[in-house]
Amino acid sequence: MPQLNPEFFVTQLFWLVVTFSFLLVFLWRISLPRIGNVLEKREKKINEDLTAAKKLQAEAEKIQDIIETQLQQARSDASEMIKTTSTSLQDKAQVELTKLEKGLDAKIGESHEAIEKSKNESVAQIQSQINEITKLTLSKVASFEVSDDEIKNAIASSERSIN
Amino acid sequence: MASKGEKHSPLEQFEIIPFSNTELGGYDISFTNSSLSMIITVAVITLFLTLTVNPRSLVPSRMQLVSELMYNFIAQLLSDTVGDNGKKYFPFVFSLFMFVLIGNMVGMVPYQFTFTSHIIVTFALAAIVFIGTTILGFANHGIKFFSFFYIPGVPFYMHPLLIPIEVISYLSRPISLSVRLFANMLAGHTLLKVFAGFVVAMPFFTGVFPLVFIVALTGLEILIAFLQAYVFAILTCLYINDAYHLH
Repeated sequence: MPQLNPEFFVTQLFWLVVTFSFLLVFLWRISLPRIGNVLEKREKKINEDLTAAKKLQAEAEKIQDIIETQLQQARSDASEMIKTTSTSLQDKAQVELTKLEKGLDAKIGESHEAIEKSKNESVAQIQSQINEITKLTLSKVASFEVSDDEIKNAIASSERSIN
Repeated sequence: MASKGEKHSPLEQFEIIPFSNTELGGYDISFTNSSLSMIITVAVITLFLTLTVNPRSLVPSRMQLVSELMYNFIAQLLSDTVGDNGKKYFPFVFSLFMFVLIGNMVGMVPYQFTFTSHIIVTFALAAIVFIGTTILGFANHGIKFFSFFYIPGVPFYMHPLLIPIEVISYLSRPISLSVRLFANMLAGHTLLKVFAGFVVAMPFFTGVFPLVFIVALTGLEILIAFLQAYVFAILTCLYINDAYHLH
């Protein structure tokens, strides 16, 4: 087996040491720091982008919240306005109605009074005319002079008996 | 064996062929096919990891993503097993993983030499890990590191048995680590060559069957190439963890 031939041990060891040392130093000093830098740079960039995205998302959420509260506010304001307007309108209508009712009542009362008054007047007039007619009739028919008081009493007593 | 009558042995692929005859201080340091594939491996790793990450784009290209995935794979492995202490050893574990992984993969290319199939190479890598973690253990815990071999919560009369077992298992770490990788690579490549011999040796069209088997086996070998690199890396992480946390 050629592997066990010590003739070439020294040269293999020598070249192994030379090549492996070169490889180790080259990778240690040049290749690995380069790759490490690239990886680090990428990680940093990704982290930065992630934090920026998170910040933007938080901002968007804040804005969303503001919009939401404003909408809420507007809705409650509108319903409040509708409520106050409708109640004030109802109050006004009530006031007008009561005013109208009062006016009507007053007018009805006035009319009542006027009717009563004219009725009384008419009754009084009729009374006096009856007296007059009775007096005239009596004087004409029986040439009988009767005083006004007597006629009045007589009529009143006949009225009483009729009633 | 079918290849017995042939000129080629299934083990011939592991033969080391020197391209030059160089000596340094009396030692032979000839440039060989093994050295060539090590250099190819290192070149592939360094060029790939440098060129793909060159644009340093925030949105990676496919190739840049491959480099980043490898980086994250080992970083995750190290942080899962060792924790925060492990960051210091990331370049070493990453280099070890890539060296073994691409070394195995380069070995899967036809006519390419697989340096991880040589016990001396894998043993050297395992020895670096073993010596390094042992020094680390003593640096972190001083003489208390020996309490690593003492398992708490065990009846006292078991200790004479358990302590030698623990010591032996600790000392055999570099051997198990290196032999695992070496034997996997050796067995896989030898099996491929044996079946390749069948393809040539079998009569008429029946050679198609071992050929189909070779195709399937190549897929399995690529999986094993990755798996062994992963096992090498994860065991290294566990040994580093042991150097920090005694029982």
